[in-house]
Amino acid sequence: MFHKPKNALYKTVSRRRFLELGGYGAAALGVGSLAVGMNSTIMATRVQAASSEDAKWKQFAGSKLTFLSENTPPSFAIRDNIKAFYDLTGIEVEVLTDDLPVVQQKVGIDVRAGKADYVLNYVQDKPIGSPFADFYADMTPMFGDETLPQDPEGYGDGSWVENFLNACGRFYSAEKVIALPYDAAIPVTFYRQDLFEKHTKEFEAEYGRRLEFTPDTTWKHVLEIATFFKKLKEGGADVPYGYAQHQGSFAWTTQLDIQRLMFSHGRWTDFNVDDKLGSKTPGKTNWGDEQSIFMLEQFKALADVSHPDNLANGTLELNTVYQSGNIAMQVQYHEFAASVEDEKTSRAAGGKTAYAYCPKGEASWIKNGGEAVNGTNCGIGGIGINKNASEQLQRAAYLFAIWSTSKQLQFDVLKGLGGTPTRKSVLEMPEVVEAKKRPSKMPNALTFDVAYGIGIQDPNFVLGPKIPEANEYHSLVASETQRMLTGEMSPAETAESLKSQIDELNGA
Amino acid sequence: MTDLTEKSPALQDVAAKLFRARSHSIEVEARPRTEVLEKPLTFNPPAPKRYYFYLMAPAIAVLAFISLYPFFWLIFLSLQDVDIGGGEWVGFDNYIRLFSDSRFINGWTLLLKYSVICLTLQLSIGVLLAVVVNNSRYERFLVTALLMPMMMAPAVAGLLWLFLYNGTFGWYHWLMQSVGILDSASILARADTALLAVIIVDVWQWTPLITLIALAGLKRVPRDQLEANMVDGASPMRNFFSITLPNLYPVLLIAVLLRFMDNFRFIDSLLVLTGGGPGSATKILPVYLFEVAFKFFKLGRGAAIALTLLLVTIILGKILVRVFENPKAGRS
Repeated sequence: MFHKPKNALYKTVSRRRFLELGGYGAAALGVGSLAVGMNSTIMATRVQAASSEDAKWKQFAGSKLTFLSENTPPSFAIRDNIKAFYDLTGIEVEVLTDDLPVVQQKVGIDVRAGKADYVLNYVQDKPIGSPFADFYADMTPMFGDETLPQDPEGYGDGSWVENFLNACGRFYSAEKVIALPYDAAIPVTFYRQDLFEKHTKEFEAEYGRRLEFTPDTTWKHVLEIATFFKKLKEGGADVPYGYAQHQGSFAWTTQLDIQRLMFSHGRWTDFNVDDKLGSKTPGKTNWGDEQSIFMLEQFKALADVSHPDNLANGTLELNTVYQSGNIAMQVQYHEFAASVEDEKTSRAAGGKTAYAYCPKGEASWIKNGGEAVNGTNCGIGGIGINKNASEQLQRAAYLFAIWSTSKQLQFDVLKGLGGTPTRKSVLEMPEVVEAKKRPSKMPNALTFDVAYGIGIQDPNFVLGPKIPEANEYHSLVASETQRMLTGEMSPAETAESLKSQIDELNGA
Repeated sequence: MTDLTEKSPALQDVAAKLFRARSHSIEVEARPRTEVLEKPLTFNPPAPKRYYFYLMAPAIAVLAFISLYPFFWLIFLSLQDVDIGGGEWVGFDNYIRLFSDSRFINGWTLLLKYSVICLTLQLSIGVLLAVVVNNSRYERFLVTALLMPMMMAPAVAGLLWLFLYNGTFGWYHWLMQSVGILDSASILARADTALLAVIIVDVWQWTPLITLIALAGLKRVPRDQLEANMVDGASPMRNFFSITLPNLYPVLLIAVLLRFMDNFRFIDSLLVLTGGGPGSATKILPVYLFEVAFKFFKLGRGAAIALTLLLVTIILGKILVRVFENPKAGRS
């Protein structure tokens, strides 16, 4: 094969022998690679994975996951800090964010098509969870799995703010948990304390009580406050409108607006089903009853004295109206406190805004004999795992789900971008407790006492309707009530129209 | 008549010189003539028709895959109740339900209203602009400026106008409020003005297309006809209606056809601007279709709506094409 000097001392290697040696070498390399691979990637056995805490986190190294989420602070913060997760697990995660309606459509198409392009999804309670609940993996078997890392605080109801796990994790069955609470939007009342104080004497002269907001302030009081400010404004005074709502292009927020008012009065709900679990067969709706017609009348009365742009305002637009000083009060999601308290962009900043519970029901408005409560609903975004993904990918996704909802990460997000924690323990951290008072380094924390206080707790909390047709339901409620607000239909006609369309929708 | 050359050889010689190009020498004439075969010989015998079919087959297959297959699948889908978690054969139920669906009927009414108003405004303003721009000193600059809205993605145009219309900081809102056209509610917040707001955006973005097409047509209007009419004492207005407009007729029909089909699938900027609201004030059929199919995931019902939309588009399109092919009938 090679030139060999005649007096060479070393042994020659024949061509055959050379090829044999090469073959052995290649085989040895192959076996070695396989061994390394089995130990490090998704080929790792569960026994090996359970050998150490580090091995549990690293067992899926080399995997790649995509997380489709709404444009929310935690998602932005996690995307910026994704290297920390990679360093911990060796798993590459691409975080894609978009507006909720777009996320809803993309997720819907993905899961319905039997695909898992987005292994991890943002499971916003009703818009995504209700229609697609059956397409998400049940996480309960993974919670007790010794071959997977576990959060020291656990995942039971006690670990999260009250009702959060019910909101985004449980759909139609108490046994399954399909998502962990990832972020939250709780409505609270934002009001201009400075304006309330300034005009309290005029208000007192007319209504016989102080212009203030307390836990006992009712929806009737809100109507009076809005009427008072409108009258002042029309009289030429330099004051904003008293109140505004979101009846804009996003149907869900419109439905949530109405729901708070309705539930506050006798705990009225759309269907007679378990409000927290929901139902795939909700039966006949309660729209059209005396209570619902009366409340629609009040809703219209309130809209008539509110800011005239209600019908063009979504959540963000309503907050812009408040920030620009054009309204004195709004029931808004607590995540907006950070922008309201920003002195560069908000006229309501600098201690002018105070935060309170959602208004209470007015006893004289209750027709169904129920109690008056501070009706509060929510938008709890969960993180769920697409069931279409392979078992190994689901387990890899589980690591991301528990990491992204961990105490430390939630605290970091809150400190960095103004997140909305879901774990109870975050709210008890000394820095967070300190931030609840002004001046605050975490403006969202200014709302925590009211947001995580009585509103989100029973009996004030309303969640549903969790029904498979939730999105069409929201759309119907929004478009019919908007028609009522524009004067196209009366409250009674609206309630009747809703009843017939919703019953048809649910086949009741 | 007698041929003089037959009698005079001199004349024959002159004639031969004169008509040299046409006549051939005797030697040439004496050569054997080439027989022209009835069927030309060829190395490639004519291929059977099947051969051409094989050549076209890949293209037909691709076309069928990307066009026909989805079309038939759409029909199949429309006969099923395809919901979350599976489908069930329901025959014509989806179609029957449409007749009692107030949102579907409202969608059609609004779509027709929207399309007619948009087309009328775009045609009148577009042609007027074309006449103004035609042969003007700044024609090139004006054409470039007019093209700008058209270059914008419809969703971006929607966002732009959403900000302009905004009741809190919108410049157009402030302007319209200042001149007393609007009260404190923004144009998008009222059911009676929201559709108008959407029409304004469409007219702003797509009138330039009509202008461009009309401008191209104006360049082809016969100048002699215009001048003759002027000499006969016709006013410029009379000239426009008697000479210019009839000559523009074919190109304008193309423009109408294009815009009409665009309007029937219009959705982008409307979704950004109003999402179909307030109430159902701007929920034209394509928006309702989008909602049903991709928000409620009622794919069967969505397919039925899509097919009715397609059917009406085809019928109206055919009518327009017939008018286009027979302009006189259209004009009468």
